[in-house]
Amino acid sequence: MAGIFHFRQLFKRDTMSYQRQHTSKQRALIALIFAAVAFSLAGCAHQAPSAPLYERLGGQASINAVVENLLYRIADDPDVVVFFANTNIDLFAESLASQLCDVSGGPCRYEGPPMDRAHQHMGLTDVHFNRVVEHLDAAMQEEGITLGARNELLGRLAPMYSDIMRLQ
Amino acid sequence: MTLYPPCLPPARSLPFSIPCVRHMLAACLAVTLLISAPPTLAGSRILATGAVTAIEGAAGGGLSPWAVLSSTASDQEIGVTAAATRAWVDDYRLTMTGASMNIYDRVELSVARQTLDLETLGGELGQDIYAAKVRLFGDVLYHPWGIWSVGLQHKRLVDGAIPTALGADKTRGNDVYLSASKLLFSAVAGRNVLLNATLRNTDANQGGLLGFGGDQGNRSWVAEGSVGVFITPRWIVGAEYRQKPDNLSAAEEDDWQSLYSAYFFNKHLSLTGAWLDLGDIAGLPSQHGGYLSLQAAF
Repeated sequence: MAGIFHFRQLFKRDTMSYQRQHTSKQRALIALIFAAVAFSLAGCAHQAPSAPLYERLGGQASINAVVENLLYRIADDPDVVVFFANTNIDLFAESLASQLCDVSGGPCRYEGPPMDRAHQHMGLTDVHFNRVVEHLDAAMQEEGITLGARNELLGRLAPMYSDIMRLQ
Repeated sequence: MTLYPPCLPPARSLPFSIPCVRHMLAACLAVTLLISAPPTLAGSRILATGAVTAIEGAAGGGLSPWAVLSSTASDQEIGVTAAATRAWVDDYRLTMTGASMNIYDRVELSVARQTLDLETLGGELGQDIYAAKVRLFGDVLYHPWGIWSVGLQHKRLVDGAIPTALGADKTRGNDVYLSASKLLFSAVAGRNVLLNATLRNTDANQGGLLGFGGDQGNRSWVAEGSVGVFITPRWIVGAEYRQKPDNLSAAEEDDWQSLYSAYFFNKHLSLTGAWLDLGDIAGLPSQHGGYLSLQAAF
């Protein structure tokens, strides 16, 4: 951004005070620089990270620890735990761990039900969805996962929102 | 700091008058309560997705409204936000107080009072802004296209004498805008990046403080945008740009830009600081300065 300010300062020195400071061409240039910065930042999103996400999460042992930590948080949350009343927690933990392994590029294949079927007619709202996101992020933080890996995993899970909420 | 009995008149030598001490104590108390308030009182949306309060009262950055709705209320909740903002540039001082309500993360209603002290020219300008924003579709985190909203801002000058003398056509005006916001997860060095773009149709001079329309033009479309990086989930640093019309030959107008930093202590309290470059304002050139905004949300 410094370039824009510098550009403006240069231009100001050359103008009399009663003249227009920015012609439409210069405004367009400033807007273009701004857009270029925005889109180059957006482009970075598609660069391959240095190590696969699965490894940066700490592999299967660490993913299992995150899942266990998450389940303790859910068990302590009366707003969320009601949805697990008829759930076999051991099977659920195993299924979620294999899904996180799969999503993060690890050597697993998630073979559970699709996300819309898995959550259908549960009556989930954004309140529940957001709460589980917060629990998951807190669990990852407590298990020592770096901010970059946390953000990337959350980014890979975020598009599941539409599937999970489709059949409510 | 010594406390004096409230019944005694303040002595000349006191560094603060007693009402001032009271205000500071009240402010300290309020901040302490906000920092320690239980999160169950807050809406369920993720921290910082309600952004901060922009100078026109809507949820946004400092200078420009964003597509997100204020507070962290989600589809079954109602949230209320209040903010106080001050900006100091070379020859002016702007104060904004505002409040907004988020209804079911669908509609945001806001009111704001702006006061611009003309420290060099003398006098002050003020306007009230009544605004609504409606979320069209999407979500800043979960939707592949982000969140899209439209907004209307109705602005009324408190006293139109100076703007009219400068050549403004009207002392009331309406801005309409379309805004989109999107969070890119892990976009730069593992950090999340927030993009915002706003397209506004307006005839407001200096946001409305110098009236509406003028000898050089009337309504026009202007673009606004910002880029911010969440250094941590609580702390975003970025830049904002707001294109402006230039309707008054007697008071040429420049685009606004800022570098900002906003810290979210929790879902209730955030503090925003910024460095501003507002260009020429009412004949005084090259206005630079600082910006501070405190926001409380429930």
